[in-house]
Amino acid sequence: MGVNCVVVVREVWDTRDLIDAPLEGGAIKAGLDTRFEPEDLNALETALRLKDEHGGTVTAVTVGEARSVDVLRECLYRGVDEVRRIEGNPLELDAHAYAAKVAGAVGELGGADLILVGTTVVDGVNSLVGPHLASILDVDTVSWVDAIDEIGDGKAVAKRAIELGYEYVEVPLPAVLSIGVALLEDDPRAPRSAKAMLKLKMKKVPIETLSPVGGAAATRVAGYEEVPQRVIESKEVDPEDESALQSMLDELLKGES
Amino acid sequence: MADILVYAEIDDGVIHDVSLQALSLAKSLAGDGAVTAVALGSGISESAKALFAHGADEVCIADDAALDGYVTRPYRKTLESWLARRTPGLFLFPASTLGSDLAASLAGALNAACALEVDRAAMDGDRPVFSRCEFDRKVLTQFAPADGGWAFASVRDGIAEAAPAEEGKTGEAQSIPVSLDESVTAARVRRRDVAHKTVNLKDARIIVAGGAGVGTAENFGLIRQLADCLNAEVGATRAVVDAGWLPADHQIGQTGATVRPDVYIACGISGAVQHRVGMMDAGKIAAINIDASAPIFRIAHYKIVGDLTHVIPKILNLLPA
Repeated sequence: MGVNCVVVVREVWDTRDLIDAPLEGGAIKAGLDTRFEPEDLNALETALRLKDEHGGTVTAVTVGEARSVDVLRECLYRGVDEVRRIEGNPLELDAHAYAAKVAGAVGELGGADLILVGTTVVDGVNSLVGPHLASILDVDTVSWVDAIDEIGDGKAVAKRAIELGYEYVEVPLPAVLSIGVALLEDDPRAPRSAKAMLKLKMKKVPIETLSPVGGAAATRVAGYEEVPQRVIESKEVDPEDESALQSMLDELLKGES
Repeated sequence: MADILVYAEIDDGVIHDVSLQALSLAKSLAGDGAVTAVALGSGISESAKALFAHGADEVCIADDAALDGYVTRPYRKTLESWLARRTPGLFLFPASTLGSDLAASLAGALNAACALEVDRAAMDGDRPVFSRCEFDRKVLTQFAPADGGWAFASVRDGIAEAAPAEEGKTGEAQSIPVSLDESVTAARVRRRDVAHKTVNLKDARIIVAGGAGVGTAENFGLIRQLADCLNAEVGATRAVVDAGWLPADHQIGQTGATVRPDVYIACGISGAVQHRVGMMDAGKIAAINIDASAPIFRIAHYKIVGDLTHVIPKILNLLPA
């Protein structure tokens, strides 16, 4: 049997090397670096591995304006069959409105066995789009999925990370699975060869202009504030210098018995 | 003031401590309004007593075999039908893996406002305002519901102090009806692979934690040795738990514990934000890492760039055995 997957991919702010709060005039500064949402990349890799093993198709979708085609092209380079851009500005959408747009696209594509997306919580924005999407489509869903343990016979078993370990959740298909961070250490595949990429560069990315199922954003951003950063007096300790290590220990353990 | 609902997550008869924090937050936000604790599961009716004792004015419980083990859709559907008969208001969840997932699912079903993993919550009149640290915890973003109706939020560990149980505070729990058809109960938790809680990371004053950089299970012995010498608890990143070097109850970070010890010694931990959110409020942080550019050094008071298999024995030599 083949497994037909739709993967939701997003271009997000790259917050890894921020030194200061990226604010300007009470709004997020323009021109911040962006990257392929890492957990979405895991979702993509999960879909591609399912395709390698079971056959089927992988379609990547994103909501965005023209420049978001970059993440879709990246998906083509990594081996998806089809890409779709859904017209819209993700910065104006909350997770619900984003999910509503994707739900429209899934319908337009004729459904899927699995819809995969990153769980993405750490930096908050557009976190847990998966459960919103599953509720709109009224299908089963599992979040924080580290691996798909089994798939077949119209069902999947997802390995879900929880606070003190794992749970294996069986869901009938179609289902929405939100993929977690685990695969990050387990590198996603490299893009295809330069020659293949050049060919794909020419490929037209179809655009959907769908009216969303559901509604407008239910949550709005009311403002931004800079978080005062903890000023850390940082000391470099030379591991070869015994007295430096000793004084570090003395300072660390002061007051501890 | 508005009435507020709080989701009480119960695992193995134990109420999730962030649920108790959410309960006391709700008490302070509700003013003279009522706070209702809501719990779903199988065989959980006994927990009602504790919820009353921790300050709930009303306790509503769906106790049904079909809710044994958390599966999003049946939980969502049960609450969705029950909420339809209540006046819309604020519904708080613990920002656990379960709580955030359920809050988002309900918001999805009801087209309602939703803010996940919030660090602060306040009321602006009778409407809530939530704040969450974003952009590597450099920006505090405020969220408000775009209009009336339900507002869902999951709150992070540390949002409020859980109220101690008060004896004598009691009441009669209401029952939430459960009526799910077969197509909804087809999904189920097949198997759990869950550690029993054997460590108390939250109350530990010193934690020695190891990450993927520790390299091998044998090397992890060094972390344990250092912890023993310092009378400390042993913590770990998810990578360590996944490698099977330690059970999951030692995990610190996004899907593990949030800790605030006096001293945190990070060994072979690069400091991905998923780990940092769980330990960045430690009093003093010392980090040992071979990679001088590891993000953990940005929040460390003491930076030791070096191979931990070489550095830890040196430290052990300096400590009384």
